[in-house]
Amino acid sequence: MRLEKCWFCSSTVYPGHGIQFVRNDAKIFRFCRSKCHKNFKMKRNPRKVKWTKAYRRLHGKDMTQDSTFEFERKRNRPERYDRNLAEDVLKAIPKIDKIRVRREEKHHKNRMKGNKAKLLKEAARELEQGINLVKPPSVLQKDPSLTLPQIKVLVPQQQTEENRPMEE
Amino acid sequence: MAASFASKCSRVGHSLFGGLGNSLSGLVTTSQEIICNKFLSQQQQQRSFIQMRTVLKVVDNSGAKKVMCIQPLKGRKGARLGDTIIASVKEAHPNGKVKKGKVVYGVVMRAAMQKGRCDGSEVKFDDNAVVLVDKQGQPIGTRVFGPVPHELRMKKHVKILTLAGHIA
Repeated sequence: MRLEKCWFCSSTVYPGHGIQFVRNDAKIFRFCRSKCHKNFKMKRNPRKVKWTKAYRRLHGKDMTQDSTFEFERKRNRPERYDRNLAEDVLKAIPKIDKIRVRREEKHHKNRMKGNKAKLLKEAARELEQGINLVKPPSVLQKDPSLTLPQIKVLVPQQQTEENRPMEE
Repeated sequence: MAASFASKCSRVGHSLFGGLGNSLSGLVTTSQEIICNKFLSQQQQQRSFIQMRTVLKVVDNSGAKKVMCIQPLKGRKGARLGDTIIASVKEAHPNGKVKKGKVVYGVVMRAAMQKGRCDGSEVKFDDNAVVLVDKQGQPIGTRVFGPVPHELRMKKHVKILTLAGHIA
C-alpha cells in the first residue's frame, strides 16, 4: 500500500480513491478526485490554479523548504521489515506532524505580520471620512471634537460680581 | 430492455447497427456501470468498451498497424483492458508477418476506458491498443511498445509482460 500524491493539487491519494492516467510515454498521472482530473483534461497548469499546493508553494503562501519534508520523500528501495523500526516510525509520525504544523503556522503568521498596522490605519481613515454615518452633522457641529475629552474651564466668580455694578 | 437490445445489436454482425450500437451501449453503460461513466454530458468524452468495429492500434512488431475488432471474446458489452478479441487487420506494414485482411487474435494492451484495480483505484490509458497473439495466447511479434498494464499477469499473458518496456 502506498499513499500517492495527486498530480494536480498535491493532496494525498488514499487507496481506493482517484484515477490513474497512464500516458503513452508511460508517465503516470494520479488524481485524487474528478475535480483535479477534469482540470488536467482542460490542460490547466496547476501552477496557475490558485487552490493547488503547487501555486501556493510557488507564490510563497506555504512553506517550501523544511527539514520535516525530508521525512516524506519517496523512497524506492523496499525496507526489510523490522518490528522495532516500524514501532519507532509509528511513534515518530505524529510528532513530526505536530512540528510541521507548528512551523507552517509560524510561516503563516509571519506572512500576515504587517496586517494589524494596516488595518488600524484603514480604520482610522474610515472613521475620519465616514463619521457622519454614525452621528448626524448637527450633533457634530454642537460638539465638534467628540473624540477629545471635555476640558472643564473654571470661571472665577469674583469677576462677574465686579462687572455687575459696571453694567448698571 | 435496452440492455438486451444493445447486446443483441453487438452480437448481430450488421454494419448498419454498428454505429447505432456504439451510441446505445454508451447510454446503457451509464445506467449499469457503477465505476465511472455516470453522467453523459455532451461535452465530456464517453469512454466505452471495445466492441465490434472498434479500430485499435497495434503496438508490436508483428507487421499490422491498425486492426478492427470483430468479436470480443468474453464480455456481453465488449472487451476491456486485458481481454482478448478477434480482429481483422485493416492496415499493415508492407513486409510483415501479418497481412491486411487477415483475421487475428489480439490482447487489449491499453484501453481508454478505466478499469478498476483490486486496491480500489482505477487506471485509464490514452488510446486503445492491442498486441496480436495466436490462438494459444503467445504473441506473434517479438517486441512490444509503450506502457503495459499489470492486469496481464492475472490473465496469464506473462510472455507479453516480459517483452514490455514499461509496466504501468
